[in-house]
Amino acid sequence: MKNDQNGRKVLLEVRDVKQYFPVKKTKLREKQRYVRANDGITLEIYEGETLGLVGESGCGKSTLGRTILQLYPQTHGDIIYHKDGQAIDLKQQNAEQMRVLRKDLQLIFQDPYSSLNPRMTVGQIIGEGLTSHGIFKKNDPAMKEYIFQVMEECGLATYMFNRYPHQFSGGQRQRIGIARSLALRPRFVVCDEAVSALDVSIQSQILNLLSDLKAKAGLTYLFITHDLSVVKYISDRIAVMYLGNLVELADAEELFSDTLHPYTEALLSAIPTTEEDGGRERILLEGDIPSPVNPPEGCKFHTRCRYCQEKCKHEVPEWRELSDGHWVACHFPLHENNVPTGEVIG
Amino acid sequence: MGKGRYLVRRLVYIVFVFFIISILMFFIYKSMPGDPVRMMLGDVSQSMKPDAYQALYDRTYLQLGLDKPLVVQYFIWIGNMLTGNFGYSTQYKRDVIEVIGTPMLNTLMLNAVSMLVVFAISIPLGIATAVRKNGVFDKFIQVITIVGYSLPSFIIALLLIFAFAVKIPIFPISGVRSPGFSGNGFEMFLDTAWHMALPAIVMSISGIGSITRYVRAEMIDVLRMDYIKTARAKGLKEKTVIYVHAFRNALIPIVTIATAWVVALFGGSVVIESVFLWPGLGKMLIDGLMQRDFSIVLTMQMFYVILALAGNVIMDIAYTIVDPRVRLEN
Repeated sequence: MKNDQNGRKVLLEVRDVKQYFPVKKTKLREKQRYVRANDGITLEIYEGETLGLVGESGCGKSTLGRTILQLYPQTHGDIIYHKDGQAIDLKQQNAEQMRVLRKDLQLIFQDPYSSLNPRMTVGQIIGEGLTSHGIFKKNDPAMKEYIFQVMEECGLATYMFNRYPHQFSGGQRQRIGIARSLALRPRFVVCDEAVSALDVSIQSQILNLLSDLKAKAGLTYLFITHDLSVVKYISDRIAVMYLGNLVELADAEELFSDTLHPYTEALLSAIPTTEEDGGRERILLEGDIPSPVNPPEGCKFHTRCRYCQEKCKHEVPEWRELSDGHWVACHFPLHENNVPTGEVIG
Repeated sequence: MGKGRYLVRRLVYIVFVFFIISILMFFIYKSMPGDPVRMMLGDVSQSMKPDAYQALYDRTYLQLGLDKPLVVQYFIWIGNMLTGNFGYSTQYKRDVIEVIGTPMLNTLMLNAVSMLVVFAISIPLGIATAVRKNGVFDKFIQVITIVGYSLPSFIIALLLIFAFAVKIPIFPISGVRSPGFSGNGFEMFLDTAWHMALPAIVMSISGIGSITRYVRAEMIDVLRMDYIKTARAKGLKEKTVIYVHAFRNALIPIVTIATAWVVALFGGSVVIESVFLWPGLGKMLIDGLMQRDFSIVLTMQMFYVILALAGNVIMDIAYTIVDPRVRLEN
């Protein structure tokens, strides 16, 4: 098994992953254009950690989660999954091999309303994956027992077994989605905005549930969200995405205390607090997020960056590790006192 | 609410609707111009003395119950209808029930065969094109189906007659059976099937065109849903994802359109029956209207009413089977 320099076990390596979606042509002889949802993403996910992934709507967070799980035909790059000392390149797997691997790699969907098949009972929804992966045989009485156990773990009453999704509230449906993915005893779960559709009170219940399950089963999460207070609460490390690229990646504490990228700075300043705003300055980003079909040249963030310099408009900043485990893609990373340095470090 | 009670409610409801429609139809036909007695007696007036004709006329008038009030006439009529006495056909000079049997059998046969062909081809084809959306195969089928359902059926009929009865004469152009045919049951079956080939193909072509496109559109909608991604993420086999998860969800609108289409088939085959001289209900209805043979027309109208109502009940039952949500709601 591959370890990094701190001895943490690497579970997944994402190397220069690109995911493009073709744009429908409007003219006959038009050149094919693409939405660059992920435009060269490199990161490692360690076993047993929760990696938070934040960014604006439409920046490609969910796409990255789904690309890692091979739910889209991947455009470019490698995704290496480490299992029992073997390095498995997910892109190279055929459909059947990938299907078998899905037992380990699971997904909790954003929308608890559309992600459950309305024609199936809760029991069928949870049980289907179990029979498909041969964990239980069809009509095995032990399977029902096991499903009851999983439902209870996820805070669902067992009498709900024969009910259909439309008979549940949003929070209960989200629990069904969680129970479904966790019933397979996966190693890695992508939580794609798993709580953002829910009430705040239910959000915290679900977050606690996810942390409990992680502690019990040693799960690894990729936690995708646009809610910074949630991500701070649950994550070990946080990655920040902008327009299809990672701009900063660091331990959760460090990202908040030693912000290096101007975009992260602006995002963090937008977290609402209950304290009276003494010294903290709210940084407003001007303009809209540019189109991922025609992203700006150079640093993609330069159109909205308040520290933008001439170099940013032409040169793409390199994704580099500035200090131990703290990655950033910026020509002029911020100091701790939040002024631009004006010089390139590293 | 249980499934049984739901069905009973629906049945009570359609019985109610049936009687309302029957009242409307009866009075509409009653208010049409024309003397049913004279129509029934027909040409006999020329060969009889006027007073003898008048006596015959009065007798028939009483026999048909035309002296009674309209409301009573209605109850007599509906009572007869429900006990299988559909009246007397002035055109064939026989009871309607004797006349209507063979055409009904012919129509049912033709429709049932083309229906089976349509569903057997269009549902798998629709699913296959939806799964390969925008591929070469899909685009090819898209073109074929749009041609199939845009062409009027009589044009397809003429083209096929030209191709398979004139240029390459492998099928007969009209009728149900070869003239002067004799043989055992199986030979008769083969001969009928041979005669049915062209009309059944014509009826299937337009049906396949529209239903394939419909199935494809529904499947594409469903395949876009998140729960299909969930099913794939679970690690199910692609076959299970498509046939169990996607197709079952696409079924509801397909059931709706298929039922409506089946009901329409019985009335809509008039054109095809005329082109191929297929002695079915469509031809009979047209003849009956032309000849003012109201017993036949009224009987057939009631048949279509029952067919439409039965279609609705079948649709309801089908919904409860394909959609668990329907079972618990009103």
